[in-house]
Amino acid sequence: MLGGLGAAGATALLAGCSSPGAGRTDITFYMTKTEVLEHFGELIAEFNSSQSNVRVILDSTSNIAANFVRGNPPDIACFTYNLEMARFMERGALSDLSDVRIASEIRPEVQELVDQYATYPGRTSVIPWSVTAASVIYNQQIFEEQGLAVPQTWSEFTEVCEALTAAGITPIYGTYRDPWTLAQGHFDYTTGGSLDVAAFFDAMHEEGTQVGIDSSVSFQQDFREPMERMVQLNEWSNQNAASRGYGEGNFAMGEGEAAMYMQGPWALTEIEKTAPDAPLGNFPLPMTEDPNDTRVRVNLDLALWIPEASPNKEAAREFLDFLTQPEVQDTYNQQFLAFGTRRDAPPQQDDRIAELQTYYDEGRFYQGASKAIPLTIPAEGYIQAMMTGSSVEGTLRTMDNDWRRLALRS
Amino acid sequence: MASTAPAPSVARPVPKAGATAARQGTKTRRRRRRVDPVFYAFLLPALALFTVAITVPAITGIFYSFTNSIGFGEFEFIGFLNYVVLFSDPAVLSSYGFTMGFALVTVVLVNLIAFFLALGLTSRIRFRNTLRAAFVIPMVISGIIIAYVFQYLFSNSLPALGQSIGNPLLSQSILANADLAWLGIVIVTTWQAVPSALLIYIAGLLSIPGEVYEAGQIDGATGWQRLRSITLPLVAGYVVINMIIGFKNFINSYDIIVGLTNGGPGTATRSVAMTIFTGFTGGDYAYQMANAAIFFLIAIAIAVLQLRVTRGKAAIR
Repeated sequence: MLGGLGAAGATALLAGCSSPGAGRTDITFYMTKTEVLEHFGELIAEFNSSQSNVRVILDSTSNIAANFVRGNPPDIACFTYNLEMARFMERGALSDLSDVRIASEIRPEVQELVDQYATYPGRTSVIPWSVTAASVIYNQQIFEEQGLAVPQTWSEFTEVCEALTAAGITPIYGTYRDPWTLAQGHFDYTTGGSLDVAAFFDAMHEEGTQVGIDSSVSFQQDFREPMERMVQLNEWSNQNAASRGYGEGNFAMGEGEAAMYMQGPWALTEIEKTAPDAPLGNFPLPMTEDPNDTRVRVNLDLALWIPEASPNKEAAREFLDFLTQPEVQDTYNQQFLAFGTRRDAPPQQDDRIAELQTYYDEGRFYQGASKAIPLTIPAEGYIQAMMTGSSVEGTLRTMDNDWRRLALRS
Repeated sequence: MASTAPAPSVARPVPKAGATAARQGTKTRRRRRRVDPVFYAFLLPALALFTVAITVPAITGIFYSFTNSIGFGEFEFIGFLNYVVLFSDPAVLSSYGFTMGFALVTVVLVNLIAFFLALGLTSRIRFRNTLRAAFVIPMVISGIIIAYVFQYLFSNSLPALGQSIGNPLLSQSILANADLAWLGIVIVTTWQAVPSALLIYIAGLLSIPGEVYEAGQIDGATGWQRLRSITLPLVAGYVVINMIIGFKNFINSYDIIVGLTNGGPGTATRSVAMTIFTGFTGGDYAYQMANAAIFFLIAIAIAVLQLRVTRGKAAIR
C-alpha cells in the first residue's frame, strides 16, 4: 500500500516534467532494460533532433502495472513481453498496430509467440522488436581438449557429462541460490526439449479446475520425466551449487571452472566483463534420442506497444516508425546479442550465439514453461526445492493443486 | 496496513482499572469541557494523513478482496471465494506458519539478549559509553545491506570455516538448507533488532531509583533476589513494550528475508508480507488483498491479546 503511494508520488513528479513544449508533442517512452538504457538514450536524442513535432521523454523507473491502474500509461513502450503484460493486452488496453509499416514484415512464427499468452480479437497489439535465444553455454576449449563433440541426443549428453566428470572437470555450473536461474535454465530447457510447451499450457488452461492425475494433461504426468532428468543434472554440477548465485556463476564460467552453464545471452555479456576472451559457444539441451527434436528457448525480450489510453497515439507511432527502421533495429540486435524479428533481418554475427541462428530461422524454438506459469504459483521456489532434495512427485502434485485453485477463482 | 494496527495502543498508557477510574470519573468530565480547541487542531494533520494513507487504502483493499480484480480493468464480485481458496492454499498457510514461528523465536531471543546486555551496560563497567555506542550500530544500517553482507558470510565464509575444521554441517550454507535457513534469518534479524530493544531496556533500568536497591541491600537481598524482585517488576512495562513492538515488526519481516533467502530454498522461508507482495507483482491483486485482510485481523488480535494479558502489572509509569 505504501509502495503504491510512493509510485504515485513519483508519477506526479514525472507528470510535472512533461508539460508540453511549444508546438511539440511530448510523449513518454517506457523502457527499463538497464543494460541498454544508454543506447536508447542516444536513439532518443537522435530522434528528438531529427524532427520538430515530437519530443520523446524516457521513463525507466515507474511501475507499469500501477500506471495502467491509474489510467496513465506511457505513450509507447519497448518492453519485455510476457504473461504479465498479456493481461493488459487481453483486456484491450493496447491499441491496434496492424497498419504500421513493420507489422506485415514480422516473421509469422515470432508474431505467434505473442499469441501464445493471449490474444485480443482483430488486433495486432504488440510488435516484436528483439528476440533473445538461450541454450546451454559451453566452454569450447574444454570440449576440444577433451575431444568431445556437441551432444545431439540425451544419451550423448549424459556421456559428455560422465567423460567430463572422469576427467575431473565440473560438467555444469549451477547457481541454485538464485531460483530464477534454475527456472529459465534447467526447468525450461528440460521441459522445452521434451514437449510442446505452448500446446501443453493451452490444454492446461482448457482443463482448468479439472487438472490432476486423471486429466488429459497435468504437471504430474507430463513434467515427471523432464523433472527427473532435471534433478539428475545435480550429479554433474558443482557441489556448492545450492549456495552459489548468478554473479558467482558468471565469474566461475569466465575462469573456466566448469564446462557448461544453463544461461542465456545476458550472461555472456556479464562473463565478458571479467573474461573478455572466454571461448564460449551455445547448443540446445537435447532431451530425446532424435537430434531433430532439439529446440532453443526464446523470449520476446523487447516488444513495442502503444496503449489505447494514450492521448498521443499519432506522435507515438512516429517514434515507433523510427525505432523499426531496419538499421536501428538491426544495429541493436547485433550489438546486444539478440535476433531480429523481420523476415529480412540479417543473421547474428557474434560467434558465441551464431550457432543458434539456424534454430531461430527454422522456427525450432519455444517460450519457457516457467514463463507460462502465473507468478501466483511460486514455481521458481518449487523448482529450487526439487533441485535441493524435495520429491519431484510431491512438488508436481502441489503445482497441479495450485493450478486448480487458481483456475477456480479467476 | 497491518503494521500500523498495534502502534496506537502501544503509545497509550494502560489506564488503571477499578476504584481510581471511578473516583476520577466526575472530575475528568468537568475538565474535558475546558479543553482548548487548539488541541484538536494539533490532532487534525495526523488524523487526515492517517485517514488518507491508511484507512482509505485499507477499506479499498478489503473491498477488492471480494472481487477477482487484477488491479486493473473490469472485475466481478466473487463473494468469499478468495477467502475460501486462501484457507486451503498450502503456500499461504505455510507462510503463516513460518512467519509466526520465526517471530516468536526472534522476539524471545531479542529480548533475552537485549535485557542482559542492558544489565551489563548500566552497571559500573569500563568503556561503558563506547560499548553502548558499538552495540547500537546495527540499528542504523539498512536491513537490506545487513542481509546481503550476512548472505555472503553464510554462503562463503561460514562454509569455508566449516570445511577447514571438518564439520560437515557447517560446510554447506545453512541458507541453502530448507530445514536450517530460518535459523539464518533469526540470527540476522536478532542482530539488527537487539539495539532498539537495548535502548529501551537501558532507559528502563536507569529509571529505577537507587534507593530501592539500597533498601534491598540493607535487607540482605542477594544479586539474584534483587534482579528477580526489584529489577524485573520495575521494568515489566518495558518488557511489554519491547515484546509488542518486536513481535509486530517481526511478523511484518520483509527486507532481511528478501536479501538472505528470497523466500527459499523452495518456499521454506516465505513470510506473509512477501506472499502478499506477490499479489502486486504477479497480478493477483484481489486474492492477496484477502490475505492482507486476514493478516490485518491477526495483527489486531495479537495486539489486543498482549495488552489484555499484561494489563495491570504492565502499567507504564
